[in-house]
Amino acid sequence: MHGQSFAYQRPGSLREFEALYASHGDNAKILAGGTDLLVLIKERLLAPRLLLDISDLPELKGIAYDPAAGLTIGAGVKVAEIERSALVKEHAPALAFAASNLGSNQVRWMATMAGNVCHASPAAETPPVLLAHGCELLIGSQAGERRLPIAEFFLAYRKTALKPGEYLKGFRLPPLAADAAVAYRLRGLRRAMEIDMINLGVYLRLEADGATAAEVRLAMGSVGPISYRAAATEEKLKGMTVDEAFLAAAAAGVAAEAAPIDDVRASADYRNRVVGVLARRGLTHCLEQIGSRRNKA
Amino acid sequence: MAKREFDVIGSTVTRKDAPKKVKGEHEFADDLQFPMMLHGRIKRSDIAHSRILSIDTSKAQALPGVKAVLIGSETPIKYGIVPQMPTEYAIAHEKVRFHGEPVAAVAAVDPETAERALDLIEVVYEPLPVYTTPEEAMAEGAVKIHEDNKFPGNIAYEADQDFGDVEKAFADSHYVLEKTFKTSYVNHAFMEPHCAVSKFDTNGELFIWSTTQVPHYLHRHLSKVLQMEMDRIHVKVTGVGGAFGGKGEVSNNELISALLARKAGRPVKVLYSRREVFLQHRGRHPIQMRVKVGVDKEGMITAIDYDGTMDGGSYGGWGLVILFYTAAMLHLPYDVKNVRFRARRIFTNKPTCGAMRGLGGVQPRFALESLLDQIAIDLGMNPYDLKKKNAIGLKHETVSGQVVRHCEFRKCLDQATELSGYREKHGKLPFGKGIGLAGGYYISGTAYTLYMAYKPHSSALIRVDTEGGVTVYCGATDIGQGSDTVLGMMAAEKFGLPFETIHVVSGDTSLAPFDLGSFASRVTVAAGSAVCKAADNIIDKLLPVAAVQLGVRAEQLEAKRGMIRSVFEPGKEIAFWDVVSKYIDAHGPLTATGDYTPPRRTGKFKGANIGHSPTYGFSAQVTEVDVDLETGEVRVLRVTEAGDCGQPINPVSVEGQVEGSIMMGLGQALYEEVKVGRDGRLMNPSLHDYKIPTMADLPELNTTFVESYDPDSPYGAKEAGEGPIQPVIPAIFNAVYDAIGVRFTEMPITPERVLRALDEKKRQEGGTC
Repeated sequence: MHGQSFAYQRPGSLREFEALYASHGDNAKILAGGTDLLVLIKERLLAPRLLLDISDLPELKGIAYDPAAGLTIGAGVKVAEIERSALVKEHAPALAFAASNLGSNQVRWMATMAGNVCHASPAAETPPVLLAHGCELLIGSQAGERRLPIAEFFLAYRKTALKPGEYLKGFRLPPLAADAAVAYRLRGLRRAMEIDMINLGVYLRLEADGATAAEVRLAMGSVGPISYRAAATEEKLKGMTVDEAFLAAAAAGVAAEAAPIDDVRASADYRNRVVGVLARRGLTHCLEQIGSRRNKA
Repeated sequence: MAKREFDVIGSTVTRKDAPKKVKGEHEFADDLQFPMMLHGRIKRSDIAHSRILSIDTSKAQALPGVKAVLIGSETPIKYGIVPQMPTEYAIAHEKVRFHGEPVAAVAAVDPETAERALDLIEVVYEPLPVYTTPEEAMAEGAVKIHEDNKFPGNIAYEADQDFGDVEKAFADSHYVLEKTFKTSYVNHAFMEPHCAVSKFDTNGELFIWSTTQVPHYLHRHLSKVLQMEMDRIHVKVTGVGGAFGGKGEVSNNELISALLARKAGRPVKVLYSRREVFLQHRGRHPIQMRVKVGVDKEGMITAIDYDGTMDGGSYGGWGLVILFYTAAMLHLPYDVKNVRFRARRIFTNKPTCGAMRGLGGVQPRFALESLLDQIAIDLGMNPYDLKKKNAIGLKHETVSGQVVRHCEFRKCLDQATELSGYREKHGKLPFGKGIGLAGGYYISGTAYTLYMAYKPHSSALIRVDTEGGVTVYCGATDIGQGSDTVLGMMAAEKFGLPFETIHVVSGDTSLAPFDLGSFASRVTVAAGSAVCKAADNIIDKLLPVAAVQLGVRAEQLEAKRGMIRSVFEPGKEIAFWDVVSKYIDAHGPLTATGDYTPPRRTGKFKGANIGHSPTYGFSAQVTEVDVDLETGEVRVLRVTEAGDCGQPINPVSVEGQVEGSIMMGLGQALYEEVKVGRDGRLMNPSLHDYKIPTMADLPELNTTFVESYDPDSPYGAKEAGEGPIQPVIPAIFNAVYDAIGVRFTEMPITPERVLRALDEKKRQEGGTC
């Protein structure tokens, strides 16, 4: 299949890109890796007039860590770089794991996490972990930069909070407290190159007593039109002792808040049932991480 | 058995195509470019069953860059791989029978223009009812998918065979078990899509380069459909990026490229998209089988009763042959005296099923190995013991007349179970973990051609000269399975020369002598025999020359390690190439031919020609699984295979065949299924949505061979490419039974099915408390 023809431009700087993007409005699409965009064009689901290639913009590169600000990842960073980054492995291992499960190795060397997030598919690999991390998005435009919690980014199926002229510039993951951990769990039919039947990011922070949940985030994918957090369950789990009843409440809670449909990958019934299993396994993994850190300390 | 000493056979030489493939140098059909070459694209129906009322191509023809447009009325000649029952057209003629069937084709200066032109073609359809299952197609009052079909109820063909007295045997049986099994609609998912390039020269001769398993059948079909003499058509097989049966009959793109090239007067390439590969299909037949097996007190099989309905899809293809293969596959690898077979192949409005690795065997093997496993468990026996008792010995003749000249299946059962610890583990692993055993076998070639002919099935020509070296010409087709390597190794062993020095020219109907093609696991035995005979004939010419030089009798000489030497007197030898040189000086060019015709066996029943093979390969597999009781995931942990492929010519190539078979079977058992909508549309015709296993799903594989040598085969070899897939699926299903006590009878075993089955089991067990 071949799509409509389009113009292609490679701006030399971020400023130049912002100006071009502002002036072309809806006619332009941002090309970072192209692994989703070019497929949509070839399948004639999109017909942009102009592609703006940002893949080489130095301002969008780089992964950095600062003890106060946390982990910063530029929008131009390839998924494979995130998968392999020592900084990501140290400060957000669940994100490195999620990145390693995105598409194929070839796709991961082309695709960016920003593209994965902006595509806003409910089955996407990285949003649940980013939601669990309480990630903040840096959103750029010619007018300036704003910050937005990722929980406010996904508005509807493949619809985001980006306004005309705005683009995703980078990610900031707040530093993880010593008593906190993030985990990611997923289910596909096979063990690689999958669009998940279901996936889930978990954040758990314990009180100083090491036995009480101070804060829980449970972010689910493929169980609704967007990736989203099970807010009511998170609230309910807060302050509970982390025991079997806690895990059972988490599992039952996410199942109640999930709103999956039947599709070619899995049935709604299956997703409802397994989302609870993933929540339980994710939380258990968080507890193990926190526990092993405490033992070392 | 005396230990055989070989220099080349049994060693792992590096395939000549391997480094070229790794470096992207190996030439596939889509790599070919010719001056003035056009690109052909195919307009496909968006309706599954209808009459074609009209086609308007005027706008497409008017589009700049379009050089030819073709519709079905220009290709009204029916063809089929089974020539007695042609059902297909290069482009749908008067009627469309599946969603996505070709209705027109365009050749244009580039693919984009050709695709734009397709959008400008207007087709008016008169819709007919769509049947996506055999039940619907067989129902009272269903419209005939093929109007000239002589059978009622959209039955493409039906078959019945009876051996012994099945009813009496069941009546006398100690235990009888009957179950209904259902297999899935799966595609080969080979890596390289179909692609063909056709070119007519100024003299009107056609040259076609294609990725095919069957250049000879393509040659015949082109002659029929294009109404040309065969000697004016030259078929050249390019690199083949996998086929597994899917390129084992003529594909529409091949005929369309030739027809467009003739019409446009320019070379035309027609490359399929992945969706088109799924539409061309020819994958495995889904079969609903009711199978009944009886045993006596000792667990000896008394009778098998089989009733199967095959979903054939819209056209004939290999279907008739596969129907009868399914019958033949009931008789081995166990000794069965009473067999009843009833089956039918049904036309439905879906892409056509056909030949896929291990055709005819995989479905009945799944049912039979599952039933034997269950019978053993029900009788309190270890399944190994039951299978070993029933396994055939070294030589055997089935009640249907199939003659097995060499079989080491018992060794396979012993070796696979010993290496895996099956007997100790079966029935004793913790809930959720399981181990399963299955056996299987396959033919190493067939007894007959698809059309009436007495010519040899394989032939080879060897030319040895002082300038060009040794060249083996053989029509056999290397589809990636490594037949060029195997044939080259056999010639190297015969001549006592290094494998690297042997050239093989194959897969070309103009250059190489006749061979039927790469299917039915026939090449190593058939083409291998032809090459060995040709090589023997060369040696017979050389030895008398060497004998004179050395002053010894010719029959005391052998060709070994670059020399022709005395078997008895060390040092009495002369360099092979010196003898060749002297032969050519004295006699002229040194060439010889060899050929192979399999033993013709038959019987006095319908389909009696099918199932006979010169020799058969056998295998047994033990598979270990881990079932996630919460998510329903089945993880295959380990597969231990013990294979009887005779003497492995190139052990690493055989391991590749075995391991590829295991992954292919694993995919069908657990993941793969072409999903079809109610309107006949394919729901997942992409490798994104059609899930083949990945390297991450690869279990630990312990691939072993049993000591085996078929003395009547070239270098003792038998098939290895289709036998090893036979046990894969039932071994997984039997392991799942061992793990969770659920006997699945329908594939694939998806996580959802596992959870539902566990729920059901819990309900039943709760109910009895």
